[in-house]
Amino acid sequence: MIEALRKKAEELLKNKTVSVVFGYGEGSTPERTRPVFITKPEEVNKLTWNKYCVYNLTTYLKRQETRKLGKPAIVVKGCDARTLIVLMKESQIKREDVYILGVSCDGVGDPLAEKCKACDVHTPRIYDDLIGEKGENKELPFDERYAELDEYENLSEKEKWEFWQKQFEKCIKCYACSNICPLCFCDRCIVEKNQPQWIDPSAHARGNLSWNVTRAYHLAGRCINCEECQRVCPVDIPLNLLNKKLAKEAEKNFNYRPGYNIDDELAMSTYNEKDNQDFVR
Amino acid sequence: MEKSLNKKDFDNFITSLRGKGYKTFAPKKNNNLVVLDEVQGADEISLDHVITNNSIKEFFFPKTENVLSYRMEKNQVQIEEPEGFAVKAVIFGSRPCDAFSLPVMDKVFNWDCSDKFWVQRREAITIVTIACDKCDSYCFCTSVGLAPDAKQGSDVLLTKISSDNYVVETVTEKGESLIKEFESVFSGPSSDSSDRQVATVEKKFEIEKVKPWLDENFVHAVWTDFSLKCIGCGACTFVCPTCHCFDIVDECTMTKGDRVKNWDGCQFKMFTMHTSGHNPRSTQGERWRQRIMHKFKYYVEKFDSILCVGCGRCSRVCPADMNISEMLEIIETEASQSENKE
Amino acid sequence: MDNIYRPYLMNISDMVEEAPGVRTYRLNFLNEDEGKKFQFRAGQFALYSVFGYGECTFCIASSPTRMDYIECTFRQAGRVTNALRELNVGDTLGFRGPYGNVFPIDEWEGKNLVFIAGGIALPPLRSVIWNCLDLRDKFKDVTIIYGAKTVADLVYKHELKEWDARDDVNLVTTVDPGGETPDWPGKVGFVPTVVEQAEPSSNNTIAVVCGPPIMIKFTLPVLEKLGFKQDRVYTTLENRMKCGLGKCGRCNIGCTYVCKEGPVFTAQEINKMPDEF
Repeated sequence: MIEALRKKAEELLKNKTVSVVFGYGEGSTPERTRPVFITKPEEVNKLTWNKYCVYNLTTYLKRQETRKLGKPAIVVKGCDARTLIVLMKESQIKREDVYILGVSCDGVGDPLAEKCKACDVHTPRIYDDLIGEKGENKELPFDERYAELDEYENLSEKEKWEFWQKQFEKCIKCYACSNICPLCFCDRCIVEKNQPQWIDPSAHARGNLSWNVTRAYHLAGRCINCEECQRVCPVDIPLNLLNKKLAKEAEKNFNYRPGYNIDDELAMSTYNEKDNQDFVR
Repeated sequence: MEKSLNKKDFDNFITSLRGKGYKTFAPKKNNNLVVLDEVQGADEISLDHVITNNSIKEFFFPKTENVLSYRMEKNQVQIEEPEGFAVKAVIFGSRPCDAFSLPVMDKVFNWDCSDKFWVQRREAITIVTIACDKCDSYCFCTSVGLAPDAKQGSDVLLTKISSDNYVVETVTEKGESLIKEFESVFSGPSSDSSDRQVATVEKKFEIEKVKPWLDENFVHAVWTDFSLKCIGCGACTFVCPTCHCFDIVDECTMTKGDRVKNWDGCQFKMFTMHTSGHNPRSTQGERWRQRIMHKFKYYVEKFDSILCVGCGRCSRVCPADMNISEMLEIIETEASQSENKE
Repeated sequence: MDNIYRPYLMNISDMVEEAPGVRTYRLNFLNEDEGKKFQFRAGQFALYSVFGYGECTFCIASSPTRMDYIECTFRQAGRVTNALRELNVGDTLGFRGPYGNVFPIDEWEGKNLVFIAGGIALPPLRSVIWNCLDLRDKFKDVTIIYGAKTVADLVYKHELKEWDARDDVNLVTTVDPGGETPDWPGKVGFVPTVVEQAEPSSNNTIAVVCGPPIMIKFTLPVLEKLGFKQDRVYTTLENRMKCGLGKCGRCNIGCTYVCKEGPVFTAQEINKMPDEF
């Protein structure tokens, strides 16, 4: 697979289909990989593929420094590819702006990442080229996809509140969660706005609650469950639990899975006269 | 006389300290993390970690703290000074690199005028360090002039000499008087005190080569190239024991408010942005350069200290696997190459 | 131990609307003893705070020769300056300072002085201008060249008149093309061009320049052409600051902390700094 990936990348760079390949390279330890940005065909050997390729590289589509490199080919797993669909639906990128190098994936992380346990997109649902075997993606039933939430949902309201208070107490407001998120693409985040000051900037109980809840809300019906926020959190807050809970509610109410079917309309920004809630009409 | 402390007496030490009104902090497991946190007894203390996830900095320079409070009524304002922020405490089992960061940071927090929030906490807290008996590939203290059993910054240093015994060295007068105060907890010299179990931390680069290269290479492609993968978050600066940058903001209700000092970081694009929208460090490459320059050039010129203790936390937490010692190795290589050219 | 983040409480005793969005406050110490002990010199800056909104940084705009009050002039732009504008005579604000270095006016004795300012950058120079005018005998010719976008944007309109009326001050005012009014008596043109036309002699002269980066960028070469040596040209810089005390770590340009080693620099010092403005 690695060879096929490198060969394809080399070809794309050589025939100038793209100016850069966003991919995975070797990391600083054997248990890590890192994002690499290949601009020269002779450097494609830096590309790798293994179970440590956890990153969702689509986040580099929002950063000015990597955008400057020109049209990218981007290595995506099935989950990451869903981000591209959301970004297209939300008019952040055009289909022709990216060359999608899909990789078929049996799961990443060691131990296996939570997101992979209920994965039904082993083969990306959108790509220009597929590296690896094309598998059959059978959509998992709703309950199975959200089984991760069972334990949490069994908590009482009070227990949930206490759980999150304890978790958010740890937050240091480093904003790694939002900076890594490919769907947190606002040029100026709400935490950077101070007229008025919507969110207390301090990392105290009030500031941490308002930040973490607001971040999760902005991703409701949009988050594709790449789990990157949770992976990067230096203080180990289970952020994806919030995202997943909101995703479940959004799917239940709007029958919508972000980035799953490219023809589905967005749950949160589509006007529909037949909407079942009065305030929209 | 040399003393030793047996692991079974840790609990006695902690409870005695608490009995005398000291707060006690030590490494403690918290799910997937080991954090320096308050402990009631030695059973809570973790001893088998490499380094705590949080640095010692937060006990002297918390992530958020009030520097003043005020009440407002019509056009009158009354200022109230924060009190009770410096509490008598012992940090037990911190690492030598963390302890070393304190005298380094003393310099900036006392530059011409003293930040009392830092200074008074420094006076109130005693540091009992445990030398590292293990390390990982991120550690590079030996490359920045430290050692896994460095003493500077600690008041007392414990070094493991057998699976359950530690040799005790007092480093400062403050440490001396602490040991005296709790003399009964400690034992006499140990027969195996020469067999110190100290980690071997690989030296990764020659620090002497770094600053001369930085002096000449404010403009260099490496800043942008290396930081392409940086996502611009504050994780590296917030977990760093020597990153001291902060923001000051007001938070208030209609009648009262606080002026708050919060951690801030040079990797955020908003950090230097003017109100006009002009930004002196508008790209991540410039911001990454600032981080390296500040630590290995500016601080050295201002205070004759490197603003890095080689703890490796920034590299461990980096969401994109930016590795600071790798950056310094690149600089060392660049420096050697330009030497050879000359 | 003193709390270095604690501001003095000041009373707003007077205010002047200078230009659209630009206002001057005159401030008096609420605690008279603090006022008596307070000292500053031209060029220094301070952090002004609106309680509930935060602190912002700008120069002290009044002269140290007039010590019974402090004046500040600000343009409403961000969160704090917007809140500052909501205040009124009689209200209380916070004041932390003075911080930073000073214009070395003792060294300027016996020399000609040329002050060049653009737009909202006259306030930082006003302190040193009045300081020198209050010690007028010590200096030779004094020239002030001041430009703004439009006539309305000129600040300190009354003082411009006062300076214009004085025999011992040569005032040149200008507005950008299109910014003039039918009865505008001054020049029309950008500051660098007007400086070139005014042709101040560089012989035994100190130049002090302050303005937006683009104005400084184009004025410095003009001064060089006129024969000004770089160590005879002064400017004052601004950068985002939070503490003003060299601790918060954001105002540095290379190794230089604007809050402690600045804000006053010579063109020579600036040219040695890395390009990080």
